[in-house]
This record gives sequence, C-alpha cells and structure tokens, in this order.
Amino acid sequence: MEYLYTILMLMALSVILAASFNFVIGYGGLISIAHPVFYAIGAYVSALLARDAGVPVALAIPLGAVAALLASLLVAVPALRISGDYLLIASIGFQLGVLEAIKNMTWTGGAGGLTDIPALFGRSTGHAVYVALAIVLAAGSVLLLRGITRSAYGRAMSALRDDELAFAALGRNAMMIKLGVFALGAGLAGLAGGLYAHYFRFLAPDQFDILQSAALLTIVVVGGMRTVWGPVVGAVVLQALPQAITFLDLPPSVLGPLQGILFTGLVLVFMFVRPAGLIAAGDLWRGAAVPDATAGGDGAGRA
Amino acid sequence: MPDGLEVRGLCKRFGGIVVADAIDLAIPPGRILGLIGPNGAGKTSFFNLVAGVVRPDAGRVALDGRDLSGLAAFRRARLGLSRTWQNLRLFASLTVLDNLLIGTRRYPAERLAALLLRPRLVRQSDAAARRRAFEVLERVGLAAFAHSELGRLSFGQQKLVGVARALMNDPRCLLLDEPMAGVEGAAYGSIQSAVRALARDGVAVCVVEHNVAFIRDLCDEGAFMFAGRVLARGSIADLIADPRLTELYFGT
Repeated sequence: MEYLYTILMLMALSVILAASFNFVIGYGGLISIAHPVFYAIGAYVSALLARDAGVPVALAIPLGAVAALLASLLVAVPALRISGDYLLIASIGFQLGVLEAIKNMTWTGGAGGLTDIPALFGRSTGHAVYVALAIVLAAGSVLLLRGITRSAYGRAMSALRDDELAFAALGRNAMMIKLGVFALGAGLAGLAGGLYAHYFRFLAPDQFDILQSAALLTIVVVGGMRTVWGPVVGAVVLQALPQAITFLDLPPSVLGPLQGILFTGLVLVFMFVRPAGLIAAGDLWRGAAVPDATAGGDGAGRA
Repeated sequence: MPDGLEVRGLCKRFGGIVVADAIDLAIPPGRILGLIGPNGAGKTSFFNLVAGVVRPDAGRVALDGRDLSGLAAFRRARLGLSRTWQNLRLFASLTVLDNLLIGTRRYPAERLAALLLRPRLVRQSDAAARRRAFEVLERVGLAAFAHSELGRLSFGQQKLVGVARALMNDPRCLLLDEPMAGVEGAAYGSIQSAVRALARDGVAVCVVEHNVAFIRDLCDEGAFMFAGRVLARGSIADLIADPRLTELYFGT
C-alpha cells in the first residue's frame, strides 16, 4: 500500500511539474530548462522553514511556492531585459549555482541531503490524505493553467509567441507577460517541491540537477507540448511504466538500469509512433467557447 | 492649435548610412499625408522611429501635444499611435477575430490578476471587445471571415486584417506602411474608405505607398523623402509633376 502511495505521489508531483513547465516553454515560448531549480527552492525553503524556523508545515509549503516565484523573477528580470535567448543560459547558470550552494552549506544539509523534515500530517492520518491532497492540487494546477491558456491572457501569449514586435505595436507589454508566465510556472514548481519535501522528508541536491531538467523536458515533449493534457499523460505514463517492473522482484543492481532503459525505450517508441507527442497540439489557438451575442448566429460558424 | 503628430529634428544613422536627417513633419488631426520616395529613402525607418521600434539619435516625436520621446513602442501605442506593417506581421496562430482582439484598447480580460479575481469584469470586457471587433470587421467587409484562419484569406484580405487590427486601438494617429503592395481588387476600395472614415473622425494618417493612383485618390497632401530627408511637401499632383523629384525617384 505504501508503495502505491509513493507512486501516486510521484505522479501527482510530475503532473504539476510537467504542466507548469509546459506553460512556460510550450505556451509561453520561454526557452528555459531550469524548471527543477524552482522545484528545489520550493522544497528546501518549505523544509527549512518547518524544521528550523518552527513554521507550521501547512504554511511553509505555500511560502516555499512564493519563494520559488520570487527567485524566478530574480533570474527572469535581468535575463529577459537583454533578450529572450539569454534566459536559457541565465537559468541554467542559476540552477547550477543554487544546487552548488545547497551542496556547500551546512544549514541546507550539504551534498548529503536534508533530513528530519517534519511531516504535514501525524502518523494517525497517514499518507492517504496527503496523497489525496497532492492529487487535488495537481488537478487544480492543470485546470488553472488550462483556464489561463484558453482566456484572453492565453490568446495574448499565443500572439506574443507569433510576433513580439507586432504584439508590442498593439500596446501590449511583452515583458510583463513573459515575467507573469515564468513566475507562475516557477511558483507551481515550488508548490510541488514543498509537497515533495514533507512527504518523503528527505531532500538531496542531486534530485534537482540537469538530468531532472532533461527528464521533465522529455515528459512534456512526449506527452505533447502546448496541449493541456499532453504533459499529464506524459507524466503518468513515463512515471508509472518504469515503476511497474518493480513488482518483478529483481535485485536493485538490475532494477535501476532496467528502469532507465525502459524510460528511454518508451521515449524512442513514442517519438517514432507519435512525433508530435501523444497528444498533438493544433495549429490554431482555441479559446474557451464564448457565446457570440453580437454576431447574430455567426458563432455557430466556428468549426 | 491643432496637435496631431509632430516630429521635430528626428535624426538616425546606422553606421555610415543616414536614415533620418533632421526630419520635421507635422500631420494635423484629420489629415492624410502620403509619404513618397524611392526605396531606401528612409520611409519605413521613419515609421520605426515614430513608433518607437528604433531609438533616434536626436529629435522629438509628439502626439496630440504629448511627448513620446523615450517611450517604448507599447506605451506609444497605448497613447494612440497605431501602425501597420509592410510585411503584414499578423499572428499566424490566431483567427481573424482573435488577431483583432489582440489590438483591443484597454482590455482588462487580458490581465492575469483580473482573470483570477474579477471574472465579471473579464466577461464584460470580453463581450465589449468582441462587439467592437465585429464592428471593425464589418467596416472593412471581413465580418464573414471572423472565425477563419489567416491562410484561407487572400493577401489583400490579410492586409485588411492588418489595418483592422490597428483600428482596434482607436488610434489618434495611424501609420500605414505600403497598404497596397501586393493588393488587388476589392481590398483597394475597402482600405480607401476605412482610412477616409478614420480621417473624418480626426485621426492623423500617414501613408507610405508606391502605388501613385492610390496615393493620389486618398491623400490630402504629400511629402517627398530622399536619403533620410523630407525634400518637398505639397499636393500629390505637384510632387508628381516636379521633374527634379521624378528624377530622384527613378534615378539616373
């Protein structure tokens, strides 16, 4: 049972991470692969606030998300002022720098990891409630991002991706939209980090390194970039299938590499069979259906 | 005192190439000015300088008495400066209607905070923006294409979408960059009547165009540009008749 909870928990967190990363890179068109660093910041800030500052866990988790959001602005404001391409370099530098700092300070637990992180619920309520909470938050995140991308704000994001110069000439502040998208994505990653920290109660800096960036990018691309459900499907499939062979009772020295092979194999198969992702994005932006009160029946014309 | 668009002493050079050499140009509200001159005279650069896409080395741009110097392009647009582009620059992932909606002036539905906290305001401003977009599409004769992808439109119709999108800003000054290049047939009349209606509402209009017939039909007066300078200003007929300018236009 405990094992099932762990898998469900990892799936829920992957869904939040993949959906928010897709929001930034797919919908926002902001090329950055440093998403796991905001996951790390949310996790460490929440864990340290709860463990060393006596902040209640239920408050520490949202504070971790806010910390990740603010940290993302710290990277994005200078990087985006220079040029959009610079964001990729600056964010990777930030990711490596933060992880290096965590590894070399004592109060973060160093390279050995941070232990004794308080749990959200006592033993009596147990993990079931926590997992349910994580699933609800994952669903909430997906629906929130879906709502945004289908709103006028999402339309503006789409236009900004198409042509930034024309977008600005229409009185739109491209910088503000980019910052908003980047910060919201990072904040959600930070939320996932806090949820992780108080469930597994142990953090190591290596969990958030560039390999994690690659895995997350893979989930989003395989699932289907710039779609609502692609990252969800990608997260569940690529998280669940490699775990399934754990039941085969193989020795750990075989299990680990085999899971890696399975993950990579799945990616290769999916990319051959469905190169646009398990769920393919359409060419055209689609908003939420709005009744065409003005156009006298013209609204039915939308194919 | 009429305001409209006022440009004074605008200078810009890219290395050794002077694209704007102390340009003075004023367009009062309701006037349509045709900007003519050979390729490379600096007409599009002039638009980019006025719109805030390119930063000038010196000079001042004002709209209705408000100094625009130093403001970013999006702020100038918010103060009523609209433009179209020679090479369209429409949003390929959006339908015709959605292209127009991006141009909506003051659009609270597009703000993240309002979206999350004020659903009613969002609904109202969405409805108002769509009403306005259909009005504008009606005016340029594209209402039937509101939900079409851009690829289903002719090039001339796409030019019209560009003009319509610029109108969504309720501009005080409109810069049209070669609206007729590549356009034939019905769009000709639609663009003419849309621009005339705008001028009647007191908008200052500046048109860059090589189609002489179009310029002569539409514009109240013209200015001739060459090598980053405004050499002459007067009626279009006079400018065309001037042998000195004709020689510069066609080269020797």
